[in-house]
Amino acid sequence: MRKKLKISHLYLIVVFLILYTPIFYLIYYSFNSSGTMHHFEGFTLDWYKEVFADTRLLIIVLNTIVIALFSAAISTIIGVFGALAIYYAKRKQIKNALLTLNNVLIVSPDVIIGASFLILFTIVGIQLGFTSVLLSHIAFSVPIVVLMVLPKLQEMSPTLVDAARDLGANSWDVLTKVILPYITPGIFAGFFMALTYSLDDFAVTFFVTGNGFSTLSVEIYSRARQGISLSINALSTLLFLFTITLVIGYYFITQRSQRSSAVGGRK
Amino acid sequence: MNDRVIIRFEHVTKQYDDDPPVLDDVSFEMERGKFYTLLGPSGCGKTTILRLIAGFIEPTKGNIYFNGKLMNGVPANKRQVNTVFQDYALFPHLNVFENVAFGLRIKNLDKKTIETKVREALRFVNLEGYENREIHEMSGGQRQRVAIARAIVNEPEVLLLDEPLSALDLKLRTEMQYELRELQRRLGITFIFVTHDQEEALAMSDEIFVLNKGKIEQRGTPKDIYDEPINRFVADFIGESNIIPGKMLADFSVEFAGKQFECVDHGFEPNEPVDIVIRPEDLEITTREQGKLQVRVDSILFRGVHYELCCYDDNGNEWLVHSTKKAEVGEEIGLYFEPEAIHVMRRVETKENRGGER
Repeated sequence: MRKKLKISHLYLIVVFLILYTPIFYLIYYSFNSSGTMHHFEGFTLDWYKEVFADTRLLIIVLNTIVIALFSAAISTIIGVFGALAIYYAKRKQIKNALLTLNNVLIVSPDVIIGASFLILFTIVGIQLGFTSVLLSHIAFSVPIVVLMVLPKLQEMSPTLVDAARDLGANSWDVLTKVILPYITPGIFAGFFMALTYSLDDFAVTFFVTGNGFSTLSVEIYSRARQGISLSINALSTLLFLFTITLVIGYYFITQRSQRSSAVGGRK
Repeated sequence: MNDRVIIRFEHVTKQYDDDPPVLDDVSFEMERGKFYTLLGPSGCGKTTILRLIAGFIEPTKGNIYFNGKLMNGVPANKRQVNTVFQDYALFPHLNVFENVAFGLRIKNLDKKTIETKVREALRFVNLEGYENREIHEMSGGQRQRVAIARAIVNEPEVLLLDEPLSALDLKLRTEMQYELRELQRRLGITFIFVTHDQEEALAMSDEIFVLNKGKIEQRGTPKDIYDEPINRFVADFIGESNIIPGKMLADFSVEFAGKQFECVDHGFEPNEPVDIVIRPEDLEITTREQGKLQVRVDSILFRGVHYELCCYDDNGNEWLVHSTKKAEVGEEIGLYFEPEAIHVMRRVETKENRGGER
């Protein structure tokens, strides 16, 4: 046992401790009855009750989930077709150019994306609110979906398409009966990624929300600025648990896709 | 035109961009119910011919006819041919039954017909009882059979096979050679089989097309091609052979390795330079005195069925001999062969200027 605990392991443990301690600290005090974050008085679920009693907050939670589901679903559809377009681009330069444009959107800072959307929506005249948030969430999720789906397409043997056509399938059959089933794990992975990105996005949303519409992350930010209430801790804890669930779901989907790719990717 | 012809290529050329053509002005006919093999080294255009017939690519120039109908521009899904792919191309998300049923479901056949036909096809390839298996649970040989079942269930008039045995081990490959040949006889449809393995081609085919650099070098029955290769390339590619430069002195008389020999070839110009072919198994080891040729054994290799001797004559020509008799390295031996064993080829002979009737 002693031999196994090397410096590298120790380093890993320390890093993870540093990363996770604040979150667990926050979760820990969400059960504190004293109302502060430095002295633990006794266990209580009052803060959670407060969260569930706050109808404004519940509406915002609902908003957030609706935005996340809609934007993830729509961006998954757009992203899959985008990935197909990149995959079928005939010329290599065009393919690379499209892929680079896609990746730039992923690495560019949220603040810039948020600000530019704000400018765009004001110029075009779209009212800030549900629509503007939804549109911007779709926009930053599409590149993520493309990036999740494209590798599945590339690992698919092109003879699968030939085989389907050989057996009488037209283009629509090829798409629905061969390509889409094959890349399904990638599509699910893309959907879940888009979902988590939308759920926890703050910067972009902050720019494009208007009066009367808010998402959870923006709401938590504004409440935290007004003064510390442990109901924020309770809310954050719930959010954290929800994200963890998503990550675990994502993990199982990639596991499954790895197993099936052991067959499909064979030459 | 005779109605046994099912596929006809008319001056077909396939070229990508400005590269040299993959297929260069190829014309041929194929009859129904026969087993054809397209044989050649990689890059010779054999797979291109297959893909042209299947409809995955279109010819740059020339016409392709199927049952007398022009096929140019007809997409792959509208053609009466099916393909067995080199990597099998089975759909990993479908089980064995659904893979085989794929083509029938596209045609919207009713459930009962599909069930009957799929089971029949699986029985044909000896895969009864495997209907519900997933593809990744099948071995290489079994996947091969699923791929064949998936193709023949659509009752194509022509089955295209793109090096389907290349991924199998030697024993399985030999078994599948018999099975494929047997399958073709039972189905009675045309098989077009692509391979670079000459033994496979010789064992299975009714007729072999030997291809090189986008052209058909020679077509004929396995025996024709083996015994009467038209030129150096074919002789070299089909089996092992001794190819020695020589000179045709007159009809039935040829000179090589510094000696004059009786042969059965005629119709050449007097003193025309030629290549002569003698297959290693046609050479017999005798004593120096009795042999027609005197050689020295340079190396010897045990090949199981026979010994493979590498010998040199006094002129420095290399002679490969397959014999069940053993000789010692360095030993001076004689080689005996019948006049029929000598095959004379015109230099750079192609089909058009073929001479030398036998």
